[in-house]
Amino acid sequence: MKTVGFFATAIVAASVMCGPAAAHHAFSTEFDANQPITLKGTITRVEWINPHAWIHLDVPRDGGVVEKWRVEAGSPNTLVRRGMTRDSIPAGTEVVVFGYRHRNGSNAANGRDVTLPDGRRLFITSPGTGAPAGE
Amino acid sequence: MKRCTLILLALGVLLAASAGAQQRSRAGDFPRLANGKPNLSGVWQAYTTANWNVLTHGASAGPPEYGALLATPPGYGIVDGDVIPYLPAAADQQRRNYENRFQEDPELKCFLPGVPRANYMPYPLQIFHSDDHLLIAYQFAGAARIVNLGAPQPSAIDSWMGISNARWDGDTLVIDVAGFNGMGWLDRAGNHSSSALKVVERYTFAGPDAIDYSATLEDPQTFSRPWTMRFRLVRNPNPQQQLMEFKCVPFTEQLLYGEFYKRPRE
Amino acid sequence: MTRSRLVLFVLPAALLGVAAQAQTARTPWGDPDLQGKWSNATLTPLQRPAELGDKQFFTEDEAKAYVRQRIAAQSGDANIEADRSRGNVGSYNDAWMDRGNDIVPTRRTSLIVEPANGRVPPFTAAAQREHEQNLARAKEHPADTPEDRYLTERCIGFGGGHAPMLPEPYNNNYYIVQTPDYVTIMAELNHEVRIIPIDGRPHLPAGVRQWIGDSRGRFEGDTLVVETTNQIPHRHYYGVQMLDSVMSDEFRVVERFTRTGRDQIRYRATIHDPVFTTPWTVEIFMHPQPGELVEFACHEGNYGMSGILSATREEERRATEERR
Repeated sequence: MKTVGFFATAIVAASVMCGPAAAHHAFSTEFDANQPITLKGTITRVEWINPHAWIHLDVPRDGGVVEKWRVEAGSPNTLVRRGMTRDSIPAGTEVVVFGYRHRNGSNAANGRDVTLPDGRRLFITSPGTGAPAGE
Repeated sequence: MKRCTLILLALGVLLAASAGAQQRSRAGDFPRLANGKPNLSGVWQAYTTANWNVLTHGASAGPPEYGALLATPPGYGIVDGDVIPYLPAAADQQRRNYENRFQEDPELKCFLPGVPRANYMPYPLQIFHSDDHLLIAYQFAGAARIVNLGAPQPSAIDSWMGISNARWDGDTLVIDVAGFNGMGWLDRAGNHSSSALKVVERYTFAGPDAIDYSATLEDPQTFSRPWTMRFRLVRNPNPQQQLMEFKCVPFTEQLLYGEFYKRPRE
Repeated sequence: MTRSRLVLFVLPAALLGVAAQAQTARTPWGDPDLQGKWSNATLTPLQRPAELGDKQFFTEDEAKAYVRQRIAAQSGDANIEADRSRGNVGSYNDAWMDRGNDIVPTRRTSLIVEPANGRVPPFTAAAQREHEQNLARAKEHPADTPEDRYLTERCIGFGGGHAPMLPEPYNNNYYIVQTPDYVTIMAELNHEVRIIPIDGRPHLPAGVRQWIGDSRGRFEGDTLVVETTNQIPHRHYYGVQMLDSVMSDEFRVVERFTRTGRDQIRYRATIHDPVFTTPWTVEIFMHPQPGELVEFACHEGNYGMSGILSATREEERRATEERR
């Protein structure tokens, strides 16, 4: 029990210091924690650029209106090393984006979670390309 | 055989031999790697005004408030035939680029200059070349290219500097560059290309302190045929000097983001 | 001694010398070979969590448990529901991240090896005051201009592109190329190229400052020792590992690179800056990076900066309107 508690605290402390929200970019400055949003739309194009890729969506709304949204994602470089190319995510792919709206009021959000309509993640995680276990 | 013919023949042979020997000594008169290939390592800079305009051009005005400082100096071009074979729409685009060059040139924004432009900017580049590795660092914007000496790598996504794959043609290093994003310019005069651009560079020593450089550009979306540019890279005579840092990003922030700066309260 | 006996004496010594040399890969001109593509991604944190006290190393079992828990704790995907309920903006899916999948092979509990508590030493009193003033100012002026933002957000520099080379959450990849006069280290993030002359030339003049500092190296036995000075002081210097700090004009780093195996470079860096009460040292192990380095053209696509500034202006506008 003691060991579990000890590790649990250590993990919490460590993740507070360098959790995913830190990255190189204070996301909470750009996106509003009080404006969560879920977008269901069709990808029109992906800008595979740094420091962030941008996914452009057509999002149909009531009344036949189609809104244009852009969703901020990560650096494409890791995905390129996992085999992604410029043609990997074709226009027309339907996605569901959960994220938070841009504070500047534009049709933009961060791609906190980007999935296909059946619930599978759009961007595939594979085993990390990091340190081998021991030398 | 008549004696004079023999003498002429002998002289001919001697002439050919001496010319061959001279060629060999010129060709051999540059550093080589352990594996015998030419060693391109060093600090180099292009002897040309091509970054202002790759074609022959006279002097012209810059923004008036900067007088002669930002005027365009004259210079000879580096393009075979001194003409870029644009398709009609691309020629229109170049003219629009030129009219808007003091707002739209990627160099203004400290964007990566692409290939071949990085090689003829008026700043040094430094090549690090070992048997299995080749890295080219550019002073402007800290641009850099890893040049692949092994099996060719395709480009998965578009980039500013492209993907460089090299092979040897005798003592000439040939680099195939592709995978561009089409957003770069070829010079400050608005000459441009698209993401279909492929560049074939050739680096050949002309003595120990000079490299003859050529680049053939092929882009069926922009040009009606391939075309070639040539100039000389000259070695920095001071071996104690390496590239210094020219990170121009901080110098462009006001230009790029100024509209979003906080205004002091009146 | 007869000639034959001399040979018997000298030959084994020579062979030992050759064997020793053969263990460290060498360039054709005889320097230790550090060349190739490397990563310094690791799950080991920079600082030992305070709860671990004096515990310098994990046991094998503790290490395995720690790795599992660290991966889980950092998992953006696993934490989406928790983030949603807490209103935590988070960033994006795990697929974009690459923090590595193991801790350092020594099983040390922190990258910091000196001081003994595995934590960044305290600032001096004056530096601490400056640090607190900086933090207070940042609260008041989070984004007046880009100069209020992190160097990473401005695309000026990341943790791995300068000394000390500290890991970031992704793209911790490096390409090392050597010539007889230089060791060059290219970092993927921000396409930084550190050019390190090893021919004994002096540093740049003190008045010339660079974001990448100015590095000079030499081989001491099998170790490349690099000293970096001429740093532009900046409080957002250390990348994501230490987003806020204080730096002085006298900042200096001494790094040591040793090829400790076919698939390993041991990296040590000591940070000397009088703002800290003592110097501090990190130890990281670089391992081969099997993939290519991919272009990281940061400034060219920096919608994030215009986003941060415009978002802050909009928040200020709304706050002003609400007050009316």
